[in-house]
Amino acid sequence: MNPGPPKLRRLLPLGIALAMAAVATVPGWSQLRPDVGGEGRDLAPILVLAASSLTDVLPRLAQSFEADGGPVVRYSFDATSRLAVQIEAGAPADVIVSADAVWMEWLADRGLLAGSPVDVASNELVVVVPAGRSALLRSPADLEGVGTLAVGGENVPAGRYARQALAAAGVWDDVREAVVTAGSARGVLEWVARGEVDAGIVYRTDALAEPAVVTAFTFPPGASPHVRYQAAVLNTSDRRDAGAGFLAYFSSPEAMATLRSAGFDPGGEGPLTGEQVDGGAPGATLPSVASAIRLSLLVAFLATLAGLVPAVALGWLLARYDFPGKTLVSTLVLAPLVMPPVVTGFLLLTLLGRQGPLGSLLGSLGLSVPFTLLGATIAALVVGLPLYVLAARGAFEAVDPLYEELSWTLGEPPRRTFFRVSLPLALPGIAAGAVLAFARALGEFGATVVLAGNVEGGTRTIALAVYTLLEAPSGRETTWILVGASVALSLLALVGFEALNRRQRRRVREDHGR
Amino acid sequence: MAADGFRGWRLDVHVDFGARPLRLALETESAAVAIVGPSGAGKTTLLRVLAGVERRAKGSLVFDDEPWLDSSKGLAVPPWERGVGWVPQEASLFPHLSVAENLAYGGATEEAVGAKADLLEVAHLLERRPRRLSGGERQRVAVGRALLASPSLLLLDEPFSALDRPLRDKLAGKVRQWTTDVRVPLVLVSHDESDSGILADEHWHLADGVLERTK
Repeated sequence: MNPGPPKLRRLLPLGIALAMAAVATVPGWSQLRPDVGGEGRDLAPILVLAASSLTDVLPRLAQSFEADGGPVVRYSFDATSRLAVQIEAGAPADVIVSADAVWMEWLADRGLLAGSPVDVASNELVVVVPAGRSALLRSPADLEGVGTLAVGGENVPAGRYARQALAAAGVWDDVREAVVTAGSARGVLEWVARGEVDAGIVYRTDALAEPAVVTAFTFPPGASPHVRYQAAVLNTSDRRDAGAGFLAYFSSPEAMATLRSAGFDPGGEGPLTGEQVDGGAPGATLPSVASAIRLSLLVAFLATLAGLVPAVALGWLLARYDFPGKTLVSTLVLAPLVMPPVVTGFLLLTLLGRQGPLGSLLGSLGLSVPFTLLGATIAALVVGLPLYVLAARGAFEAVDPLYEELSWTLGEPPRRTFFRVSLPLALPGIAAGAVLAFARALGEFGATVVLAGNVEGGTRTIALAVYTLLEAPSGRETTWILVGASVALSLLALVGFEALNRRQRRRVREDHGR
Repeated sequence: MAADGFRGWRLDVHVDFGARPLRLALETESAAVAIVGPSGAGKTTLLRVLAGVERRAKGSLVFDDEPWLDSSKGLAVPPWERGVGWVPQEASLFPHLSVAENLAYGGATEEAVGAKADLLEVAHLLERRPRRLSGGERQRVAVGRALLASPSLLLLDEPFSALDRPLRDKLAGKVRQWTTDVRVPLVLVSHDESDSGILADEHWHLADGVLERTK
């Protein structure tokens, strides 16, 4: 009945060949191979954990460092706060380059640094607007008028600096409502570049690297946090000399030229210390447990409800009909199951963002998807739908077509037969799918953070709250409460799924024994 | 039989479906016709084609003066408009409905369901689910469900295969009484002539898709 499998078998070798070809042509594939034992080098590579805002410049530094005879440098980028937490958890890295002196102290306090931190560069915060949009922003006071202002999370340095700057300029209370939270400074930049937000606060260097944004203004001296990058060798490193060599390289003329060309001020110039920067910051808000659990349940419930009709329709179509393009439909529906959720989120943002083809349509109806509950629901729905459809399809396939044929001969046309026979018989299986989709929606993270952001009280679900807490210096207790809630809800959902599945198997049987 | 005052009826099948063509022309005054043939002779397929659930069947099919299928004219009366009562070999009661709901499925009134449940001796089972019935009980309910929809032709596929002798005779008697009352012609298929003898007046033999009268 299903022409899919044989066709799939024929296409499989082709697919594998294409995938391999794609991988082989990816630029920089060779860089991913650890280059050990190159001639004249000792040396296994060193691993550098670096702040996200260094994503562009650090590889260039590493390249010239290696060309100078240094060991191969591998790097991992994330918000400093998350790097710090990873280091505390025992990440086997050699060097950290942080964007935030406070987090360096936090690491030093825990005895995780070998030696004191070195100032390697500094940066500045700027307010950016989408290129081509004539926003008249000249000073912090003008920010009161913007609809949405993107900043980094409250514990990532870029987000902390931005909040401090807004507070120091005296406008924090006025813009508070307009603020949407991105995962990192790069996330803010992406949203501004796409025009999803009216303005964003990012590092000067990020603004320079992104042609789709324009710098509106720099915070005035009194309100401008001086962003210092500090580097240190880690205690966990067994290659401390090589790490120290990389640190020393930052003050070489080549390195300073590279940093300057990327918009950084090299070296330790900069009058402020971490403590001074910290002054006047609005209190860091910890995610609220109640709000996170409530939002998670609400989003999962809405996504499950909204998915019911599409899941039943697609499940029925795939179970009972052969039509041209069936394989394509089934592949498209199942794709979110195997695609990285972040990729799904990115595609959804492209489609449903303010500038997107569907997003502009929704916008004219007054519906906004990014950073809203609607966005979080759509992300959860799309990621959960494959499980929903698979369950519905399986439930319909388990219904013997003989029952439907009998119903026809008893005078009920197909549509009425569907509602009197097929649907009731498949109901427990569809309910099992709904429970599974609900559970998946509860756990959804990747697509949500891209499409809906991380807005406390708005889109910050359990998964996002836990992620936010992981980068906070305090709040471990809260983390555990949320982790517990998450595990409990997930297990409960799976138990429900099993029970409903058993019920489905019993339901389609007419007698005991068979 | 003519003695019953039963009107004559006619079935003309010229259908290609699957590997084997089905050819039969049957004109009779018997109330019940048995079609006997070995396993694989196409008996079940014949009933499915008559019921209209084999949508890929091509050819022509006429019951009395009603054309049900004429592929050359693009005519195919769908099963929900044919009014055929079909009881497949596996009795196939709807598992999610009670006996009463099964009996009433084709639109019968509560009174009609009650009366026929008495006749079939399943009145005490009306609230039960099919999985809590015996094989004979299920068979009786399935026949009752088909007849309660007031069909113009009743099709029975191996109706007695799951039943032992006393139960067969009992069911055969009840079905015969009912179909005679409402004057519905009946076609039953079976692989076993002794089986079909209980209910039918007229026996035809089906082999390789061709029908011949045997007695």
